[in-house]
Amino acid sequence: MTTAQPTKPRVRRAARLWKYRYHYLMFLPVFAATFLFFYLPMGGIRFAFYRYTPFQPPSWVGWANFEKLLFQRPAFWTAFRNTLTLSLTNLALSMLCSVTLSLLINEIKNRFLKRAMQTIVYLPHFLSWVVVASVFYIILSPGNNPATSGLVNAFLTRWGLVSKPIFFLADARWWTPVYLFISRWKETGWGTVIFLATLTSISPDLYEAAQIDGAGRWRQCLNVTIPAMMNTFVVVLILNLSKVMNLFESVLVLQNDRVLRATEVLQTYVYHQGIVAQSAEYGYPTAVGLFRSVVACALVLICNTVSKRVNGRGII
Amino acid sequence: MTLTKRLLAAVVAVVTLCSMGAAVSAETVKPETITFFIDTVFGSMMLDSTFQPVVDAFKEATGITIKFIKPDHSVYYDQLNLAFASGDIPDLMEIGSTNYPTYASNGALWDMTSAWEGSALRASGAVKDENYVNALKIEGKLYGFPLSMGNGTITYIRQDWLDNLGLTTPANYDEFVETLRAFTEDDPDGNGVDDTFGITAPGLINGETPYDIYLREFYQDAKPDIYQNADGAWVDGMQEPQMLDALYRLRDVYQKGYMDVEVITNNTSAAREKFYAGQTGTFNYWAGNWNVTIENNTRKNFPDASVKPIPPTGGIYIERPSLALAISNACANPEGVFEYLISYAYDGAEGQTLFTRGIEGIHYVKEGDAYKQLPDPENTEKLFEKVIAAPDLVYTSWADPIKLDERVLSSKAMFMENRRFDPVPPASAVWIENISEVIPIRKEAIALAVTDEGVTPEQAIADYVSQAQPFIDAILAERNGK
Repeated sequence: MTTAQPTKPRVRRAARLWKYRYHYLMFLPVFAATFLFFYLPMGGIRFAFYRYTPFQPPSWVGWANFEKLLFQRPAFWTAFRNTLTLSLTNLALSMLCSVTLSLLINEIKNRFLKRAMQTIVYLPHFLSWVVVASVFYIILSPGNNPATSGLVNAFLTRWGLVSKPIFFLADARWWTPVYLFISRWKETGWGTVIFLATLTSISPDLYEAAQIDGAGRWRQCLNVTIPAMMNTFVVVLILNLSKVMNLFESVLVLQNDRVLRATEVLQTYVYHQGIVAQSAEYGYPTAVGLFRSVVACALVLICNTVSKRVNGRGII
Repeated sequence: MTLTKRLLAAVVAVVTLCSMGAAVSAETVKPETITFFIDTVFGSMMLDSTFQPVVDAFKEATGITIKFIKPDHSVYYDQLNLAFASGDIPDLMEIGSTNYPTYASNGALWDMTSAWEGSALRASGAVKDENYVNALKIEGKLYGFPLSMGNGTITYIRQDWLDNLGLTTPANYDEFVETLRAFTEDDPDGNGVDDTFGITAPGLINGETPYDIYLREFYQDAKPDIYQNADGAWVDGMQEPQMLDALYRLRDVYQKGYMDVEVITNNTSAAREKFYAGQTGTFNYWAGNWNVTIENNTRKNFPDASVKPIPPTGGIYIERPSLALAISNACANPEGVFEYLISYAYDGAEGQTLFTRGIEGIHYVKEGDAYKQLPDPENTEKLFEKVIAAPDLVYTSWADPIKLDERVLSSKAMFMENRRFDPVPPASAVWIENISEVIPIRKEAIALAVTDEGVTPEQAIADYVSQAQPFIDAILAERNGK
């Protein structure tokens, strides 16, 4: 009696490759683009360990750039602290506002009104940060006189709520709350996209069953809607966490000389050190950028691990 | 022929051949092409119709092809650095005074000192004011040739506002402040509305050297930078007593509301627009051609407006170092570029006409006995201004075929009578490593000292010192050779 020889794994793999050859062919451009534009440029990371100007061959300095940022540059730590504070606050507000707005929009029963509302709240996302900053500078302008004062200060002074106009964007006490408000105004609507998609996918049977059990709107929300959103919530949280260290454009356009220390974040610090300073020395800014990436990566991994342990869900 | 005669003949032949060879090598080889990185020249769009005739005319005159490379202004130095990093290095490039020393100290630029000193251009006397060339020397070496005069800011004032209020041109600092007060409180435009203030500026401190080029009435003899004083010692201007006085002057007019409350968030266009819109009646801006632009734009909103430059009412105006035309060290034939392009473009004659006004029939035209500018192809509402060097900023003996506007001449004359040269900032590894940490601390200290009621200038300076001193010490130790 002869027994069938098990197919060799290599043969199986080759057969599978051949079978799905068109899928792989379609994937090839994506792979090439990803490699070219995401992985190949990572070669530049090596300059974090060099003194590098465009004019001379790079000279190896080992960990010197990292020693500099960790022990000799207080401005780096200020930027690091600002980045974490602004980003994590922004992230928490973003999750809270987006979920709340999604729940509110989901309650609108009229389909036309619901879609109109969705469109209205998405729109600010498509404005560039430069435009948004210009608009808010005008609205919040203190002005030298009533004629040049912005809408907010005109209102506050006219109603006697303040004795003199407040320069919101040039006062370190006001800058962070104002920045967070502007960020939420611009991005909350866009943040609802995924949550609204999740809400529409919740089975109506669950709400029906809850109603039969005597649950009101609030109880339905607590016991049906929010648990159904948790998976999405975790995924969005982890994805957003990977971007928390990327604050740049939004901060840069709202920065000014008077609040530099309170507003400098790692990306703007890299920009000021690498580009604005015109020193043409790119080793140190690259080291700062690499440090930022490592911290961002660590945050994602920690959050993913915690999520797995607590909820049994993660994305990696 | 005797042996002696044969030997003598051989020696003579060898000497003759050697001298011929020397003569050949001493003659500068003409380059076939010159790659030229440019930023501020030829307008903003670099239209073929504008620059190609100049390229063709230069080729016809010299047989050399110029290849212009003009990145967008906002990324000019990114692109120039990229060109160096990738090895695709231009022969000739335009560099501003902030980057020029960095490039020179990194060995990127060709030392043209001996080429200039032994040049026919210098011997011809066409460069009538060598101060502009000398101002670009770094420790005695010349790495770039001045593209034009450096120019600087002058104070412009709404003459019609002065007339409305019955005021005369302010002659000293106190009168200047009184004018700012009147512009703020006495309704200078006579519209019965409280809608004006005295002065605006694009920031309390400039973004590049010279940092004190704006708000000259207030900075006066203070310099918010590390500089070499009259005794030859390098000092931190922020810690000099003059700076405290300057900060109090700025603070005084700011806190009284005579200065634009948004001065720290202004850029240059925002400051200009506020002047054009009649919100303010005074600001510092560039001398020369800008006088016409500012008055014309203001008159679009206020047809009766009159904008006049005034002499400094405190201190003196500053002429910044010129933009430099620098030859890269990677250029195969730097002597050729200097002799055939730079020397030609600044010859005070036909070469300079080509590189300043352009070509007759395309960029300007003769009407009767006079020449006049033709419309700029980029913007036909404007007249074509310049090819490389601005006609109002020429420092050679060149005679402009086109008569400049009287306002340009008077503004420039007033500036020239009341200005000093600002030196090229130094650059070294120590300087570069530390100055980028000092600059933001300095900016914030000035902003707080002037605009924050709760922070005195002394407190702002003390805070600045506590943060910036280690970096300043490193720079001063190197500069002063300690």
